[in-house]
Amino acid sequence: MTAQKKLLIIDDDPDFVEGIKSILETAGYEVEAQYNPKDGFRALETGKFDLLLLDIMMGRGAEGVMIARKMGKDRKLREMPVLIITGIREQIAYLFPGQPVHPHFVDVDELVEKPVEPGLLLERVNALLQAAETKKAKR
Amino acid sequence: MAKPSFSDEIANLLYAAHGNPIKTCIQCGTCSGTCPVADYMDHTPRRIIGMIMANYKDEVLASNTFWYCASCYHCTVRCPAQIDIAELMYALKRYSIWKHVYPEELIGPVFSETFVKTIVRSGRSYEPILAPAYMFSFGVREFLQEAITATGLMLKGRVPILPPRIKRLENFKRMISKVIPVGEAS
Amino acid sequence: MKEYAYFPGCSLEKIALSYHLSTIETSKKVGVELKELEDWNCCGATAYFHVDELLAYTLCARNLAMAEQENLDLVAPCSACYKNSYFTNLHLKEDPDLADHINFALAEDNLHFSGNIAVKHLIEVFAQDVGPEEISTKVSKPLDGLKVAPYYGCQILRPRKDNEEVEQAEFFEDLLSAIGAEPVPYALKLCCCGGSLILTSRRAALSMVRNLLQNAMDSGAALIATACPLCQVNLECYQSQVNQEFGTQFSMPVMYFTQLLGLAFGIPAKRLGIGKELVSATPLSSYIK
Repeated sequence: MTAQKKLLIIDDDPDFVEGIKSILETAGYEVEAQYNPKDGFRALETGKFDLLLLDIMMGRGAEGVMIARKMGKDRKLREMPVLIITGIREQIAYLFPGQPVHPHFVDVDELVEKPVEPGLLLERVNALLQAAETKKAKR
Repeated sequence: MAKPSFSDEIANLLYAAHGNPIKTCIQCGTCSGTCPVADYMDHTPRRIIGMIMANYKDEVLASNTFWYCASCYHCTVRCPAQIDIAELMYALKRYSIWKHVYPEELIGPVFSETFVKTIVRSGRSYEPILAPAYMFSFGVREFLQEAITATGLMLKGRVPILPPRIKRLENFKRMISKVIPVGEAS
Repeated sequence: MKEYAYFPGCSLEKIALSYHLSTIETSKKVGVELKELEDWNCCGATAYFHVDELLAYTLCARNLAMAEQENLDLVAPCSACYKNSYFTNLHLKEDPDLADHINFALAEDNLHFSGNIAVKHLIEVFAQDVGPEEISTKVSKPLDGLKVAPYYGCQILRPRKDNEEVEQAEFFEDLLSAIGAEPVPYALKLCCCGGSLILTSRRAALSMVRNLLQNAMDSGAALIATACPLCQVNLECYQSQVNQEFGTQFSMPVMYFTQLLGLAFGIPAKRLGIGKELVSATPLSSYIK
């Protein structure tokens, strides 16, 4: 049996976090949540996580992109798989009707839109964790 | 960690704020006494801060207070606790725009959205395009008064005929797509 | 000759054209060269910051980066353009992560922000960089006996920059004295004109304009001088609406400080954009000739 995987959520919406946190915990993951970009990045730097679930619109604007870019520049954090979960299309639909643009700043990442189905969430989390494992094993 | 309250949510939104956190507010009322628009607000600035701290989320979001903020920063420079209150008002506008919760009759949110839309498409603002955004919410009398003022300005050559736009508009739009990752893939 | 990168802002293209014209004329007279930024964009006024602060910084930083390319300090005649540019410059300098992210966007327009220029309001250039003493030497037609209410408005002084005095400013008065005019004291010189509330919360803004006009009139001012296009439009163009709404009878001209400087320098009124007012500048007629 493999060790319990530890996930970090950085998202400013407490209701949304509460929902996905309980889904992930029920599925056997250990989950920590941070609610602003600063605390979020600090947790990434100090803690040890297997995967990050990242929101885009936080604090001053699309700060999720800032975090992803910063991770991409960090040798250690670059390896961590990231699942971007965003409601950006809803949040600023009036401004740019269209699909959210995937930032692609880390090696293993994917983007899903809110609201996210529990089944889909678990499937994506699992797939990203496995992809990261495979990548690590190849090294 | 316990689930964040409404006041935590606002604190998280303001995590990069330039003044002190709002929890340092001493409820002295200097902001309300200074605010030139306080008479027209559902709740004065002091009261709205108190309501945030007490987690009166629905009441705060239903109020017109932050939409009536003119961004004059008089409260900000006078606050003895050094809270940037005008920045808090901006944060509350951002919160309600992102979540699409604001009182229907307000013109402010529509105006902001229209204004930003104009600029991300052309790089410059253009007053005549802004007009339809709010004119419809006016009564007949206000509409006529506004039209008379506009006509006066037009006769004095103070209204642009064509919307202006910047030259490097394609670069400009790609630049924006980097900070707001929505729209065509870049 | 002092040289600056000039960022006129959207208002000065049309609704505040007379501010633009008088700025160009008067700055030449005092040895200031304003080099208009090529392809500048809107500063975002008061609307960006509550939708997306990062977008607001990006747009202001684009103008700053273009001024940096010219190696010139940025000058804005509009208080909102000034405030937004000033604080973008400051916050990006203080926060390397933020600057890095904004630069990532600016790269799309082949620009880079490094934070090595200063941002000034046009009135600071006249009142501080040039100074009232130097200005008084250029006066050929002093505005003797003209009582003027200097209106600072909000965003020249607020929020606080360094340790500046935000409640007791006098530089506008000094500038008016330098051209022979008589600045009148009045309580609301630092109070808000309503800004964009004139469009979104009309009644509140009209009452703010009324209070200002009343206060300036009671102080004996023949006209109000401003240094911001939005203040000018609110105080002047909405005067008839204030009169309708509150049954008042204001007829108070609201001129740009550069127009008054220009007249004192002997520049013909037409070249200063005088004549485009909705409330005609009657108190100035004896000085225009």
